[in-house]
Parts: sequence; C-alpha cells; structure tokens
Amino acid sequence: MKLLLGFVLMFFSAAAASGAQAAKLQLALNWKAEPEFGGFYAAKLSGYFQKRNLDVAITEGGAGTPVVQMVANSKVRFGIAAADEVVISQARGTDVVALFAVYQINPQGIMVHPERGFNSIADVFNAPGTLAIQSGSPHALFLQSQFPRYKVTLVPYAGGVATFLVDANYSQQCFVTSEPLIARRKGKPTQSFLIADTGFKPYGTVVIARRQYVEKNQKETRDLIDAVREGWIEYLRAPDKANNTMVKLNPAMDAVSMKEAAEVQKLFIIDAGAPTQELGKMTMERWRTLVNQLYDLKLIKNKPAAEKLFQNF
Amino acid sequence: MSFKIKIASLLPPLLPLILSMGLVETAVRLGWAPSYLIPAPSEVMRSLIDDRVELAVAAWTTLSSALAGLLLSFTTGTLFAIALSSSDLARRAFYPYAVFFQTVPIISIAPLLVIWFGFGQPTVIASAAIVSVFPIIASTLLGLKSTEPALIDLFTLYSASARQMLYMLKIPFASPQIFSGLRIASGLAVVGAIVGEFIGGGGLGSVVDSARTQQRIDRVFAAVLISALLGAVLVGAVNLISALTLGSWHTSERKAT
Repeated sequence: MKLLLGFVLMFFSAAAASGAQAAKLQLALNWKAEPEFGGFYAAKLSGYFQKRNLDVAITEGGAGTPVVQMVANSKVRFGIAAADEVVISQARGTDVVALFAVYQINPQGIMVHPERGFNSIADVFNAPGTLAIQSGSPHALFLQSQFPRYKVTLVPYAGGVATFLVDANYSQQCFVTSEPLIARRKGKPTQSFLIADTGFKPYGTVVIARRQYVEKNQKETRDLIDAVREGWIEYLRAPDKANNTMVKLNPAMDAVSMKEAAEVQKLFIIDAGAPTQELGKMTMERWRTLVNQLYDLKLIKNKPAAEKLFQNF
Repeated sequence: MSFKIKIASLLPPLLPLILSMGLVETAVRLGWAPSYLIPAPSEVMRSLIDDRVELAVAAWTTLSSALAGLLLSFTTGTLFAIALSSSDLARRAFYPYAVFFQTVPIISIAPLLVIWFGFGQPTVIASAAIVSVFPIIASTLLGLKSTEPALIDLFTLYSASARQMLYMLKIPFASPQIFSGLRIASGLAVVGAIVGEFIGGGGLGSVVDSARTQQRIDRVFAAVLISALLGAVLVGAVNLISALTLGSWHTSERKAT
C-alpha cells in the first residue's frame, strides 16, 4: 500500500515538474537535412531542447524556401539563413536578427573538374566553360565584380550534382562540405575553391528570429541557443546519432558522405582547441564589412547598423 | 458614340483593378501590410520604369521562346491528334500517353531538360512545348471526332478520298475546337517558358529568380505582370487569327447583328 502511495506521489510530482506546457517552436531550415544542420538535430534527438522545456519542430526546406520572409512574417519563430540575407532583409524594413552562426568560415565554394587545371576562382571565371551559380545572389554578384571581364558562361544553379557528373566543362557553386563529397562518391573527382578566400565572408547557416520576439522572450531565446550550442558540441564530437536520423530524412546524401561531411566541416565551425562556449558567436567587425560589401554591390540602398543585425547569446 | 461605348465596355474590367490596386497601395502606405510581403503598386511601377531595358529584353526572350514552343506543340500536337483520330486502335494505344504531358510536373523534370538540351533556349522551348501540347491534342482530337455524321455520309456518297475528307471536312469542322485548344496552350506556353528559364536561364524566369534571391518582390511582381501581359498578347493573337479564319462562316466568330 505504502509502495503504491509512493508511486502515486512520484507520478504526481513528475507531472507537476513537467506541468508547465513546453513552448512549441519551429525552426525552419533552408535546405534538406544535411550535416550543416547536424547540431540542430543532435539538440533535438538528445533532448537538449526538451530539458529546457522547449518543444522544437525542425522543418526541412528546399531550393527557394523563403525562410527569411517566413520569419519576418512570424510564420515561424526561428529559421536558418545566410548572414547576407539578414542584412538585405533588414535593409528592406524587417527586424530579423542573427542569433547563432554555425559556420565561422562560410563553406560556400566553387566546385570544378580537376582536369581543367584551375588554381583559383579567378581561373574559373577567366576561362570558357559553364558555371552554375544562383543568379543575382550576393556571392555571384561579388565574384562578377571581382572578375569583371569574365569569360565563363553563367547559368542557373539548380542544386545537386547531376549536370556536373555528365558535363566536363561544367563548374558549379557548392558547399565544399557537401556537393564535392557527393560527386566523389558517384565516381567523379572534384576540386573546390572557397568563395571566402576572395574576400566575401558572410557567416553561414545562421539562426534567425525577429528582434521583437527575441526582446520579449529573452529567456526562451537564450534557452534555445544554449540547446543549439550543446547540440553542436555533441555533433562535433559524435555525429553518428544525428546522421542516422538525417540520412532517413534526406536519402540524397548517403551515410558515408554524411560522416565525411561532418568531419570536413569541423574546421569551418570552430578552430581546433577553441573553447566550445565560443560556438556560434559573431563579431561586429564581420557584420560591418558585410554591410559595406552588400552596399557596394547595390544590393541594399541603406546600411543597417551592424549592432542591430545580430545578438550573441 | 463609339468612344462612349469603348469607355463603357472598358469600365467593368478596369474598376476592380483600380479598386484593388488602390486598396493595396493604401494598406502598404499606412503600414497595415509590410512592403517586404506585398509591394505597393507604385513600387512595382517604379521597378517597371527603372528596370525597363532589362525587363524588355527579358520579355522579348521569353516571348520568342514561348512562341517557338507553341509552334512546336501546335505542329506536333495537331499531327498527333490527326493520327489518333484516324484509328480507334491508335487512339486506345497512344492517348493515355498524351495525358502524361498534361500531368507531368514540369518543374520536376526541368533539370533533366537541361541535361538533354543544354542551357539556354532549347531547354526553354522544350519546356514551353511540353506544357502546352496536351490542350492542343485533346481539343483537336475532340474536334476531329465530332464531325457531323450526315456530312461524312455526304462525302462518302461522293466517294471523297480520306485526304479530301480530312482537309475539306474534318479540319474545317474542327477549327473552333483547334483554336480553343490553342488559346489555352498559348497561356501555358508562357508559363512553360518561364519555368524553363528558371533552370535553363535567360528571360523573365531569370529575372524572377534573381529578384527573389535579392528579396526584391517589387521586381518579382513587375516580371509577373509582364508575363501576364505576354500571355494576353498571345491569346489575343490567337483570337485575331481565329476571327480572321472563321469569321466569314462559323457561328462562333460571327458578330451578332
């Protein structure tokens, strides 16, 4: 009887502890489940959101998913975007801010066939051939401005590596942590160059939210970012659990490529030996440079203040 | 008198346009709707003016691809429909595959078109032709199958050849349906061309794609507006040809007296 009573009491106290309804939040990704989001899935799978009483649903995106606009319009609370999208969005009147940057070094690059003997992005632009790149994107405009007399033919970028595999004169934009690995798994050797090396260095895979929401919900936001950081610490150390889930969500990337990508991307996320509490932190200087670059490219007509573009947690 | 009539006939379609534009403009100006979600008509106008050269070049590229695609789908679609109408067996064997063209989600096969036809106009034309061919096949087939039996009997009585029967009876009899298929196809060809341009490059599709990347929805709307205009121009051209060819004899185009 006593035992039974004990159980009942235990049950009630457990119910009371989790009594406060977990806050339901959505985190909208701007691409399919891949290692660039590994830490988010790790946070979810290992219960780092849950232990902070957050019920976070991670939704995959695709080419052209307007995550920034969805966040700006409060359709989702949190989303993933590139740093340049945040600047453009604010310049157009929204209050979207960056809260956590996964990539300190942006892994956006140009992938080429090694047989072509290129040594840099300049070589790619100054030789004939085809380059698939998102038209009108800040990185495309930046590269065009760097190599104004380029000879390469720019064509739309549709994602994936299908055309790369069949066309020997075809180069394409990529995440150096993703497409080159997929192409190699399909038997094509690749070579890739970082766009960051040409001087355009926006933070990549940035968690965003509306400033208005963040100011009203400081604790919830801090909890979410803490959980994300914990998730990334785990993913950097042990990516297998998250990878197993992501492979099921996105069969286009096989388990071996995922494992390889998780390893390759470490250097883009944090310096070896740097303290993990620095994960995701951003600096004023980097944001200011980005604002100036986008202004020079005429992508924005007014310069948003760098300190309003991000908040470190 | 005719001027008055023109104004009166223009008013019904213009009024909703002016009202809705005014409403959106007011909503954006007063801050009820943020301009990054829906652009004020005045912003779209400004984009139309500022980017007029780029938009005009893009519109011309899209129009020429859509026209080429339409021509392709019209020739192949009509020939296909004639072949199908000539035998029940052929129709049973091939018609289901024609339906395939109607249901194929063009955006999902567009990347394949690039691999088959390469970047640029060939892909765009193929995309325009694929999405516009089904209405042509379906309408032409319907038209060819609905010749009045009495007239067929008459032609048979005078021992007309199959060729004579086709050219002098069945095709003229089917022309209203052929034109109505063409009308639907011409709008679709513009849509198909723009989708093809998302992947193949060039034209209004490219403008929309890059404006979307830059969060410039005023420019997206400007390009959409022009594409609607292209569709209207094509449908208008088909109407004109239809009136010129059928006007003298077919009830569908004869003016009420």
